[in-house]
Amino acid sequence: MARETIAEVGKFIAEYSAHLMGCGVHTSRVIRNSKRICQSFGYDLNISAYPKNIILTLRDTESDGLFNEVVGTPALPISFEHNSELSALSWEAFDKHLPLSTLWQKYKEIISAPRINPLFVLIMVGLANASFCRLFGGDWLSMVIVFSATLSGLFLKQKMLAGKINEYVTFIASAFVASLCASTALIFHTTADIALATSVLYLVPGVPLINGVIDIVEGHTLSGFARLTQASLLILSIAIGLSFTLWLVKDNLL
Amino acid sequence: MMIALNILSDAFFAAIAAMGFGAISDPSMRSFKFIAILAALGHACRYSLMTFAGFDIATGSLCGALLIGFGSIWLGKKVYSPMTVLYIPALLPMIPGRFAYNMVFSQIMFLQSMDNVAERTKYMDMFFSNTMVTCTVVFLLAVGATVPMFLFPKRAYSLTRHNR
Repeated sequence: MARETIAEVGKFIAEYSAHLMGCGVHTSRVIRNSKRICQSFGYDLNISAYPKNIILTLRDTESDGLFNEVVGTPALPISFEHNSELSALSWEAFDKHLPLSTLWQKYKEIISAPRINPLFVLIMVGLANASFCRLFGGDWLSMVIVFSATLSGLFLKQKMLAGKINEYVTFIASAFVASLCASTALIFHTTADIALATSVLYLVPGVPLINGVIDIVEGHTLSGFARLTQASLLILSIAIGLSFTLWLVKDNLL
Repeated sequence: MMIALNILSDAFFAAIAAMGFGAISDPSMRSFKFIAILAALGHACRYSLMTFAGFDIATGSLCGALLIGFGSIWLGKKVYSPMTVLYIPALLPMIPGRFAYNMVFSQIMFLQSMDNVAERTKYMDMFFSNTMVTCTVVFLLAVGATVPMFLFPKRAYSLTRHNR
């Protein structure tokens, strides 16, 4: 079997690592997976991965051939499914020495698989936020209010993100709508402040927060701080959206 | 009897919350049940420690996160998922939402009561204590769940490897 050229393998690795980075995988895993695939083709890989771009160099130890590439990281929605499947693909490539054409085919299959139905996500997140309200000591009426508030807020977020509207604007609007719906709890005799507090929690960017801490602890300090900064800005946006509502209803809260 | 019921209901609602928040990030269908189990264990652990053993919220969260981390390194092999795929959704119900909300609330009230010294000081105090709890707990959650990855790197890095 003819050996795949260094440029062909390099192009695959560039695409693969950029996709992993884009869909919310922490830095050390992106690097490990990419190195593993390169190894199965007999090339050495040196790679610097940052949230916005990735710099990589492949080296052929036998002929001193080199391949350099800088790729931009696409802004993809977070996907645990892609994380698991693409990681499994790197092990499969390593264990079975898959040819590059098979790798491309499997890669395309994985990334074009349909995501979970948005309607199912909507209901699940509504129920989740209502349970969250319960955990903080909200009563049944608050739970129902939080459920409906989450539905409206998340629906707006899904539509705005699909319309390619700026992420921060989306988070502000979504937090404002959700908390405004939850503020109807003030009319009833119920745990209104808990309903207000939990109505926006579905927006908390848990994945960049935790990935950021993992990156920092593992020594990828730059990308870790980049992730934490992005997460803080999103949390700030949630706070702005929530503060519009609080400002409107503050006289009833005190 | 009442105590057992409280712990069970805490675990139940934590499980639903984790599955829902996980659904936003597109997990595979096969990992849902493990996310639910881990979240229930972790949150119930924190609840019991805080209610019956007098732990504070930071230490309690760290213990819960450690439990979730060790659980995810063990269960990850069954669904060929990296640890993070299981433990990030499972940690989300432990995020201290009340404190985060009070942080925003006290900040607004602080700005609204600039000319009243007593009120201003009260909200300043409220802002700092809530911020401290929120930041510490979130950091400890992430660290606690990641510790097993550093203790057993070989297993953690090959969870997605089939037929081994």
